[in-house]
Amino acid sequence: MGGFRDYFVRRLLLLAFVIWCILTIMFALFQLLPGDPTMLFIDSNFSQDMIDRQKALWGLSDPLWLRYVRYLWNMVTFDFGRSFFQSEPVSDIIGDKIENTCLMIVPALFISVVIGTLIGAVAGWRRGSTFEHATVGVSLILHSVPSFFVGILALMIFSYQLRWLPPGGMVSLGGVEGFWPIVTSRDYWMHLLLPGLVLVSREITGPILLLRSSMLDVKGSDFLDILRAKGLPERDIIAHATRNALLPLVTYIAVMTGLLFQGQVLLETIFAWPGVGRELVQSLSDLDYPVAQAALYVMALAALACNFIADLLYGLIDPRVTYA
Amino acid sequence: MTDLPRASARVGHVWPRRVVAGARAAIERGWQSMKIFRRYPSALAGLVLVAIIVVAACLAPLIAPYGPFEVVRGASGGVVRLSPPAAMNWMGTTNQGMDVFSQLIWGSRIALMVGLLSALGSVLLGTIVGLVAGYFGGWTDEVLMRATDVAFGIPFLPFAMVVISIASPSLTLVIALVIFFLWRTTARVIRAQVLSLKTRPFIWAAKAAGAGNFSILFRHIAPNVLPLSFLYIAIGVQAGVMLEAALSFLGFGDVHALSWGRMLNDAFRAGAMRTAWWWVLPPGLALSIFVMSIFVISRAYEEILNPRLRSM
Repeated sequence: MGGFRDYFVRRLLLLAFVIWCILTIMFALFQLLPGDPTMLFIDSNFSQDMIDRQKALWGLSDPLWLRYVRYLWNMVTFDFGRSFFQSEPVSDIIGDKIENTCLMIVPALFISVVIGTLIGAVAGWRRGSTFEHATVGVSLILHSVPSFFVGILALMIFSYQLRWLPPGGMVSLGGVEGFWPIVTSRDYWMHLLLPGLVLVSREITGPILLLRSSMLDVKGSDFLDILRAKGLPERDIIAHATRNALLPLVTYIAVMTGLLFQGQVLLETIFAWPGVGRELVQSLSDLDYPVAQAALYVMALAALACNFIADLLYGLIDPRVTYA
Repeated sequence: MTDLPRASARVGHVWPRRVVAGARAAIERGWQSMKIFRRYPSALAGLVLVAIIVVAACLAPLIAPYGPFEVVRGASGGVVRLSPPAAMNWMGTTNQGMDVFSQLIWGSRIALMVGLLSALGSVLLGTIVGLVAGYFGGWTDEVLMRATDVAFGIPFLPFAMVVISIASPSLTLVIALVIFFLWRTTARVIRAQVLSLKTRPFIWAAKAAGAGNFSILFRHIAPNVLPLSFLYIAIGVQAGVMLEAALSFLGFGDVHALSWGRMLNDAFRAGAMRTAWWWVLPPGLALSIFVMSIFVISRAYEEILNPRLRSM
């Protein structure tokens, strides 16, 4: 267990180092912006004295190192300042958007993992069958086709041509508000159906292909022969095999979740889903940099945290892993 | 002097045999690769499709009836806006009266250019980093690998969008960003390969023969990792084209470059999904076909490199 603690500490230090590097890169980037935030607000009527006072108030006339340290502290404590245009703290805005993004990601991820696992396990078990060939073929196509085009196509067909589903947004205008009312409303699920399915169509390929290949590995194991010798029915043997084949999936899910946040930029833009990805696009076109900065930071954090969890989980669930 | 005729006679004797052997080897190799394609019919289809796109890109000025931003005028001199596919514009026109077919052809140039340059750049960078980190080990390795950790921690699309909006959108910047995003995978894979190559006897032999670090690294180790680098070039082309399309689609592409992503962005903004399917489908399908073709080619190549994958 001492090995695990060392490993844990090492991973944690690495995580902190990577976050620090990313924050520093972001700080440098936003320093490159021409001018400073006061230029957006200051009227030509302002005297130089007023401008200086405003700058001092915002801490813009402090030396670079002080601003850097303050910036790091603010980022670490999730204090992102105020939006330039929306009169709300950025952390509140981003918090809402993350919730909305999760409202799309979580159901889609759940379905992808559950159904993908089943399909993948069966495909791996029935190696060489038509079912396996069809599954692999379709998965590879879905995996390589640009998902934003799939989204556009789905929108064209089901929303504009057939008019079966709403063409974007998360709930209808003037609809319900608050977490539980939204989640339990039919309106939300109708809005979710299309982007959710597009997301599933891409994400499901991972569990399918992964489970199929790890099932192929497990299938040749001796312990299955022992189970067979015990006289267990084939269905139970599949269950045992699947349980072992699931190991790599756990880490895969964690990594996948982190990457999903970034992929949301495209999907949310196409389906006008008010999530953190769309907020990033909006804030950049509005030049609302505090919001853009926070959105970028949150997406990076999500991926890093999920990667970190994946690394730890793998060791915890698989006793064969050693920490050298 | 007396030796000369005999020598030339020997050369004359040896030469044809070598040529014959060489030709036979070439034919044999060609036959082998044909056999490989028979095993991977999808890769052959992919190659054909990529070849078509390459030809279209090379001959764009001859094939495309209009320029990328040229406005089509009808017989009466009026701008032909949002015309459905017709004899004159057989993929229709955009809301600004530009020919969709011409834009599609011109777009293949941008796709190929971004794909190739970003793939070559990232693989070159990644291979060098991987070689150096793997071979020298120690602090060099530590620093370079922590750099890849940081690169892996940066979410590409959001990061690229922020950089582009702070600087200004240009094709060069897009390519540079894609390189920045792609080198990390190559670096890690190549490093792992170098770590295993480093301990092979032929490297000891080279060391014993007095070869310096530089010569061992680039003469003896590099040729052995090149097949892997080629694989990452293929993967890089695919990723580069996709990323450029995604950025352009979101409106962060070069304003002067007409790529397939840009076409989709224009169409999306103009609401063509509702009104003009002929404007949306060609760039989307071209992009999908290109990306999928490269994908099947790289998959087949990966299986050839690593036959263990074949069973899976």
